[in-house]
Amino acid sequence: MSLAKSAANKLDWAKVISSLKITGTTAQQLSGFKKRNDEARRKLLELEQQPLTVDFEQYRSVLKNKEIVGKIETLFKEYKPVKIDTQSQLKTIESFEQHAIANAKETEVMIAKELSTLKETLNQIEKARPFDQLTVEELVKAKPEIDAKVVEMVKKGKWEVPGYDEKFGSLNAM
Amino acid sequence: MPQLIPFYFMNQLTYGFLLFVVLLVLFSTILLPMILKLYVSRLFITKL
Repeated sequence: MSLAKSAANKLDWAKVISSLKITGTTAQQLSGFKKRNDEARRKLLELEQQPLTVDFEQYRSVLKNKEIVGKIETLFKEYKPVKIDTQSQLKTIESFEQHAIANAKETEVMIAKELSTLKETLNQIEKARPFDQLTVEELVKAKPEIDAKVVEMVKKGKWEVPGYDEKFGSLNAM
Repeated sequence: MPQLIPFYFMNQLTYGFLLFVVLLVLFSTILLPMILKLYVSRLFITKL
């Protein structure tokens, strides 16, 4: 229990959410869980600080009506905390846990996919030749939409690229 | 042989016209789209 407590104290929630790039429902649930955890911990701390015993002798010496103090004392001694059946709560927690695990697995798959794409991108970046050695054919191979755009422009009889002259200057003699 | 002179001009006209057509096809299908592609690519990589 204490181990879990210290681990929970050391956990940096904001970092977990940001470093794992958790988004969507998982992030919401995680932050919700954190909120509930903080709330529960705060309540527990508050309750722990409250005194557990009542000094009835003090009340007896102060109050004139000793009878009522005696009555309250017997009532206090008779009081037994109500035992709550935690089974249903545990079941809820279990189902929540299963849901969370399923979500986590989904996130894991998503992250793995993202990671593989990133690796591929990194590979491409590493393999990429310098910018000035790039040819039009390679660029078109990487981005087929350039070819599609050119075909479309030729079909429409457009031979000028908008914004080109402003960027690179015009070589027109006239 | 002056009677061959019309054939000379006919030949000139025929091959001149053919050359014009060939040049037109080459320019419109290969050369000019290539230049256009180059321009589009240049603009594309500046916007990356």
